[in-house]
Formats: sequence, structure tokens, C-alpha cells
Amino acid sequence: MLILNRYSWWLGAMVGLAILLGIAGQVGVLSPVQGAFLRVTAPFEAVLGGIFRPVAGLLSSAGEVDDLRAENARLRVENEGLRNELAQRQQDAQRIKELEAALGLAQGDTSQSRLAANVVHRDSSPFTDVITIDRGSNDGIVKGMVVTSTQGSLMGTVTRVTPTRSFVRLITDTRSNVRAAVLGGEGADGILRGNPGRTLTLDMAQGDIKVGDTIVTAGLGGAFPYGIPIGTVTSVEGTTQDLFPKVRVEPLTRLGTATTVLVLMSFVPERLDLEAGP
Amino acid sequence: MKALALFALVFGAAIAQVTVAPLFPVGGAVPELVLLSLCLVAAFSGPVPVMVLTPLAALMHGMLADRDAGLLLLAYLPVLKLGAALEDGPLPLGHAARTYLMAAGAGMLARTVLAIGAMLGGAPALFGALAAEVLLPGLLLDIVVLTLCYVPLRLAGLTGSGFRLQRGRYFAHL
Repeated sequence: MLILNRYSWWLGAMVGLAILLGIAGQVGVLSPVQGAFLRVTAPFEAVLGGIFRPVAGLLSSAGEVDDLRAENARLRVENEGLRNELAQRQQDAQRIKELEAALGLAQGDTSQSRLAANVVHRDSSPFTDVITIDRGSNDGIVKGMVVTSTQGSLMGTVTRVTPTRSFVRLITDTRSNVRAAVLGGEGADGILRGNPGRTLTLDMAQGDIKVGDTIVTAGLGGAFPYGIPIGTVTSVEGTTQDLFPKVRVEPLTRLGTATTVLVLMSFVPERLDLEAGP
Repeated sequence: MKALALFALVFGAAIAQVTVAPLFPVGGAVPELVLLSLCLVAAFSGPVPVMVLTPLAALMHGMLADRDAGLLLLAYLPVLKLGAALEDGPLPLGHAARTYLMAAGAGMLARTVLAIGAMLGGAPALFGALAAEVLLPGLLLDIVVLTLCYVPLRLAGLTGSGFRLQRGRYFAHL
């Protein structure tokens, strides 16, 4: 005879329920409930966000002179815009030079129609980095769509859609894989992965890669169009004996503080390679 | 009325987890507000409400953050066991010490479970980063947030509750 107290019974029931919830989440049974729940919680999120965002902003800028902060923010946006413009021009020159106009028409047009969306909340831990935006299937968003910053830098892709909300897995999420290339790097490409602590590395990268190089989407695998700016190389570690150097990349945009994003509406993701994409 | 208030606490914590907590990161960690709300319920209302609220908390947090609610439920399970173990343990701990140790231990275990879940889901297995960027900053944040909640509640006159289930046993023949 085995004596089990109430706690043990409860624990067993909860483990069983956890398994059921895991399966239900994978199958998608909870999606309609999730959509309704997100509608119910939306006003509460708005109130809490309205109260605490200014507090967080105040704390993060404690000790700084206001005008310096404003100037810094302005220069940061301007810098990102200029980098993206430079990247765009380099891309254009490279395309013309290599006679890849046909491919560019098929995949590389980044001036597509975009839908602006507000970030309503964020699930942020060292291993996950997911934001929720206030647009959903009612606005035409589908799973797999690409999300960029307001300046056009890659932020992530849509992983789940409800009628009024969408979840976006950021490129710094540890489950994120993006086929990326060095702009003008003569074939240097690799897989950009998120790491704990919201850093990025370009894995399996071969070719001549230098600090300061601009990393863009490679357009391979069908999950992303070619040429969306992602970040700049901050360090390249390894010896000439190493097959793959360790390449660290800093995102062009500040993923943690974005309040507005753009969804590329006219790019239809294709799952040509199941291992690519976040 | 009390049940409604406890549900509102956990509901609010789940929303704050995805709206407020990410605004105040330390290192790579954010406070586990849902877990702390369960610890506070255990500390002031006893284990039975926690038994009911734990799956609801996991479900709400899972839906808000599009995370695996099952994994979150597993991560939140140790709260009660830790509390009871501390109460039955050999050290004569006061209610505050038991609550802090329960929250700290449950937070460490929950983050470890979630990190292992992420690693099994394809994240790189970086256990050094887990300790340095998740467990230690998370522990610090949880202690700070718990203090901000626990101390005012005690000063307001709320009395602490035990963590053990007092009534009855069930028997199973295997």
C-alpha cells in the first residue's frame, strides 16, 4: 500500500495537466481561447504600460542631461537610417555589377508595402525574446511575415497570429536562425543566431569578414527577402586554422526599446528550407 | 471575495510579467512576477489557493507570452513543496525567512526548468550563461520585488500562513 498525501496527488495531476497543455499548445487547440484572452487583457496592458514605460525611461536616463539624451536618440535613429541607406546603395551597386537584376525583382525588393504596428508587450528572458504587436489576422498578417524596425532593420518574424494580435520572435531569441550574408563580402554568409543575453553570432561563416562589415539577410531558404539590413560585425575571433571564425554581430536597431515596428505585407515567406527562419 | 482578490493578484502579475518586468532587466534576467505572486499567496493564504491558482497562472502567462503553458506549469510546481520542506526542516526559521527562501529557491528552479526547456527547443546549451545571466540576476530581482511586496503587507497587518496542507490523507493501493 502506498500512502500518498494530497500534495502528491495534486503534483501528479499538475504534471499530467502540464503534458496536456503542452500538447494542446502544439496542436493549436488553445488559439481561439488565446485570442479572446488577449482581447480581454488589452486594456490592462495599456494601463500598465502607460504607467511604467515613463518610469523605466526615467530610470534608464537617470544622471543624464535631457538634451544629451534627446540628441543621442535623434542621432541613433539618424545613424541607423544612414547605415541602412548606405547598405541599400551598396546593394544596388552590387546587383548591377553582378547582373542579378532578375533575382532582385523576384526577391530583393525591400520597398514593399508595410504595415505599422505598436508593440504591446514583450516576453523577455535570456533564452526567449518575443514581442506582441497590436495587429493580427484581421489586418492581413499571416505566420512567417517579416518584421522590421521603422528604419527598415530586421527585427524578427511573426510566429503566431490571433485576430487582433501577433507574436513576433525577435532575431535575438535563442530559437532564431536567419540565413545572413556579409554585404559585399563576395559570398561570405552564415547563419545568424540569437544567444542568451540577447546577443547575435554569425555561425558557420566563411570568407573574408571584418569588424564593421554590414550583415544583411541572404534571401536563402525563402523565409526572408534578400538584403534587409540586420547589424554590424563587432568582433571576429579565431585563427586562420579555424574552419569557422566566431563572428559577433550587433543589431542595427535597439530591439529592447522598440515601440513601433513595420510588418512586410507583400513578402510571402516560403518554407524552402525547414531549418531556416526563426 | 478573497478568492477573487487572489485571482486578481495572479492575473495582474501575469499581465505585469509581459508589460512591466521587461522594462526593468538586470543583466539578461527579469523578475518572475507570476511566481512571486504565487509565493505571496502561499505566504499569506496558505497552500490550497496556490494549488488552484498555479495552473491558471501558467495558462495565463503562457497565453500572454505565447509560451508553452505546460512548461511554465512545471516551472511553478516547486513553490509549495519548497515551502512545506522549509517549514518541516530542522532550522527554526521565521515566516519571513521561509518566504524569502521559498521564493529564492522556487525562482532558481523555475528559471532552470525554463532554460532547459529552451535548450531542448533548440537554444544553445550554455550553462555558464545560465548561471551568470539568468540565475544570479534573477535571484537579485526576485528578492527586491518580494521585499517591495512582503514588507508592506506585513506592516499592513496581514498575518503569515503555514505552507503545509493540514487536513486529511488519501490512500492508493498499487
